[in-house]
Amino acid sequence: MRKKQISVILCAVLTVTAVLGGCKKEVSVENTTGNSSYDKLITVDVFDTLANYQGIQSGWFAKVVKDKFNMELNIIAPNVAGGGDTLFQTRSAAGNLGDLIITKTESGRFENMVKAGLLMDMAPLLKDKNVYKNYEDAILNMNKGLVKEGIYAIPSEISSQSPNVSADGIEPLVAPYLRWDGYKAIGYPEMKTLEDMIPVMKQLQEQIPKSDSGKKTYALSLFKDWDDSMMVMAKNYASLYGYQEIGFVMEKYDGRDFQNIVDSDSYYVKALHFLFNANQEGLIDPESTTQNYDILSDKYRDGQVLTSLWSWQGQSYYNTRERKEEGKGIMPAFIEDMAPYTDGCYSMGNGKAVIAIGSQAKEPERLAAFIDWMYSPEGMELVSQANGAAGPMGLTWEMKDEKAVYTDYGWKALPTNDVPVPEEWGGGSWKDGVSALNYKPLAMVDTDPITNEPYLTTMWSSVLQMNDTPLDTDWQKYAQGAKTTIELLKKKGALSVAPGTSYIQPKEESDITTLRGQCKAVIVDDSWKMVFAADEAEFDSALQHMQDTVGGLGYDRVLEVDLKNAKDLAAARKTALDEYNRRSN
Amino acid sequence: MKSLSAGKTPRSTVQSRRLFYCILPFIILCFLFSYFPLYGWIYAFFDYKPPLKLSQCEFVGWKWFKTLFANKTQIGQMIQVMKNTFAMSLLGIATSILPMGFAVFLNEIQCRWFKNLVQTLTTLPNFISWVLVYSVAFCLFTDSGMVNNFLLGHGMIQAPVKFLDSDTHTYLWMTMWNLWKGLGWGAIMYLAAIAGIDPELYDAARVDGANRFQLMKRITVPCLLPTFFVLLMLSIANFLNNGMDQYYVFQNSFNKTHIQVLDLYVYNVGMTGSSLSLATAISMLKSLVSVTLLLTVNFVSKKTRGEAII
Repeated sequence: MRKKQISVILCAVLTVTAVLGGCKKEVSVENTTGNSSYDKLITVDVFDTLANYQGIQSGWFAKVVKDKFNMELNIIAPNVAGGGDTLFQTRSAAGNLGDLIITKTESGRFENMVKAGLLMDMAPLLKDKNVYKNYEDAILNMNKGLVKEGIYAIPSEISSQSPNVSADGIEPLVAPYLRWDGYKAIGYPEMKTLEDMIPVMKQLQEQIPKSDSGKKTYALSLFKDWDDSMMVMAKNYASLYGYQEIGFVMEKYDGRDFQNIVDSDSYYVKALHFLFNANQEGLIDPESTTQNYDILSDKYRDGQVLTSLWSWQGQSYYNTRERKEEGKGIMPAFIEDMAPYTDGCYSMGNGKAVIAIGSQAKEPERLAAFIDWMYSPEGMELVSQANGAAGPMGLTWEMKDEKAVYTDYGWKALPTNDVPVPEEWGGGSWKDGVSALNYKPLAMVDTDPITNEPYLTTMWSSVLQMNDTPLDTDWQKYAQGAKTTIELLKKKGALSVAPGTSYIQPKEESDITTLRGQCKAVIVDDSWKMVFAADEAEFDSALQHMQDTVGGLGYDRVLEVDLKNAKDLAAARKTALDEYNRRSN
Repeated sequence: MKSLSAGKTPRSTVQSRRLFYCILPFIILCFLFSYFPLYGWIYAFFDYKPPLKLSQCEFVGWKWFKTLFANKTQIGQMIQVMKNTFAMSLLGIATSILPMGFAVFLNEIQCRWFKNLVQTLTTLPNFISWVLVYSVAFCLFTDSGMVNNFLLGHGMIQAPVKFLDSDTHTYLWMTMWNLWKGLGWGAIMYLAAIAGIDPELYDAARVDGANRFQLMKRITVPCLLPTFFVLLMLSIANFLNNGMDQYYVFQNSFNKTHIQVLDLYVYNVGMTGSSLSLATAISMLKSLVSVTLLLTVNFVSKKTRGEAII
């Protein structure tokens, strides 16, 4: 009954979206003079499990897509819709996920999608396309061993570099970023362990009591949108020590240690305790429990949050050129015992996130051409702008003396600032016009043949040279001459590069999945309770409750599966490295 | 008409056939929306994995029903959920007397425009969706919301009170929201019933010297009781169906233990926990319990009051 109700609601929502989309369509037809060879404007439903925006793509990226392919992207984002897998389940039950599908593949999802006939065999469409010629190995590797032969998906982040090179470029997955102006003012106190960050954060909060718009600042602000197997914001602190999650296991980057997250002495529980301590000191934004990612992002843009673990959150949102000139900005500090985790390059592509065409897609040729374009140098520059690529040539950057440099506009707009875009480039705000697909076709650190430098603009020599604001020079002094976070970590021997592999978690028994779902809910709920516990006793009792409940539900059976997967992953890392070395010799 | 005049078919058959056609659409609708979905129960016996079609999934028999009671913790969770469901339903039933009281008093208001105003204002919340009710609640009661700002501003509290993300008095809070939303709407039925009471009864009582409170106590309330009992019986049949939208919008990590009623549990396990089969199994059990409860109440009612609804 409920399923029926939901599908009826979904139908209604879809109709409304389609109707509204229709309204918008006509307006844009009149306004633009597209030079594409496609006559009919189509609206493409993109089911995108990576996107954090739902609705029609707007702004400059929309204009590029419209001019080139005469289509509009209607992004359907489970992350925004909420309710976990609900959207995926209801849409796949209806037999049509979307025209273009960007999805995670783990736990047998990819195989099941192929088996259920949700994906289109792209082999005939891709035959003459560059993407196939250039990345044949990676594409075939992704599609081997399926129930039906064919090419159903193309992996992301395909790279030509060694799995031992950080795919993150200049910033690792996580690092202890904090407000550098505040840190400087309190005299760069040394931090030996993570716990030492608490007094530092306290001083920071006293040093910078008000944000740029005059709101109260907090050292930490959390959000719950991305919680899955565990509380993401706590997991990040474990990643600061070289661990990454695989199910309920935290795997060390080199495959030497596997931790059960609910163990009292696991890094995850330690991280929860750290957050608990921080909350006791009044360092955590009380709105953490109710806010979402967008609200938090705006807080970062305004400077209401003083530390961050993700460079693309704190740093990208706050550090504008003007602020850096004033010596204000978020920069990474160094904790002596840390070893931040970073993913190595995926020489066979990252099979965990893929792009595919839906089996019910109306104009598959056009979509295949779109995908082909996404994997081209120009496509990379535009599609991956959200992840740090350059954007449209001529607007944000240009070639000067055979070197890629930012234009004046680029300095203002990049990476994602709220700057108006000239009308001929699509108008609107730069920030809102950035591609909402949130997909990286190729590795950001790979070389762009147009510029002969990495796609990631922050790695451009011209940009690194321009890191000469008072903020940068001050930080570089602290970092003993290092220009980037990764350089600093490498220098200190504190970077944990986990070799990139094409390994994807296999499918599991459905009672394991059910148990996993029940355990996840308990772990996430109790984690939040632990962080916001009133005192130590409440923290301990919530931990005890978490351990007892998941234990009683049958957690051990799930853990067994995860441990096996973690060990397989560790082995795959080794293989990937060996294989790359063999090929390059 | 032609056939009638020809006299081939007896008049009564035509009449009953015509009447049958009149209710046919409703029978079809009833079948479509109340019986056809029961076909979905089949999912409870399969290992259904969403992207696959049912025919591609494995038949597992009673496995999911057994899973529900597989171990102590599972049973414990189930008991907690049932406790929440029963508590909220009982509170709902206990407060179901309030709309009647409200209607009786509302009826006593002589000033016509004021009476209409009160009735409209109390009925309106019924038409606001729970999502909007939650956003109102969010603006009022969040850490930087109006209530907290007011209390902080007047120095009545030192730190923001966590109204939404705490687990204190969850049942009461939920009942209060429910009451706020449903009071006026619930009173409509009773107001209609009051309008149907024979005015002669009041006149006779007035002649005998009864005052207003005596009129209410001796005439209005006794005349409303049959309506009240029918509604009560219906609400008992819906004992396990206390809906999920209200609890869904108000739930968070902090209050989940006490807010998770059966419908919400089915949703959380089935839709977000990716186990539609298990969720179907739970809702099947739910239907069985509901039918049993209804039959029991009906039987008791028949024995004690001589009235039954089915």
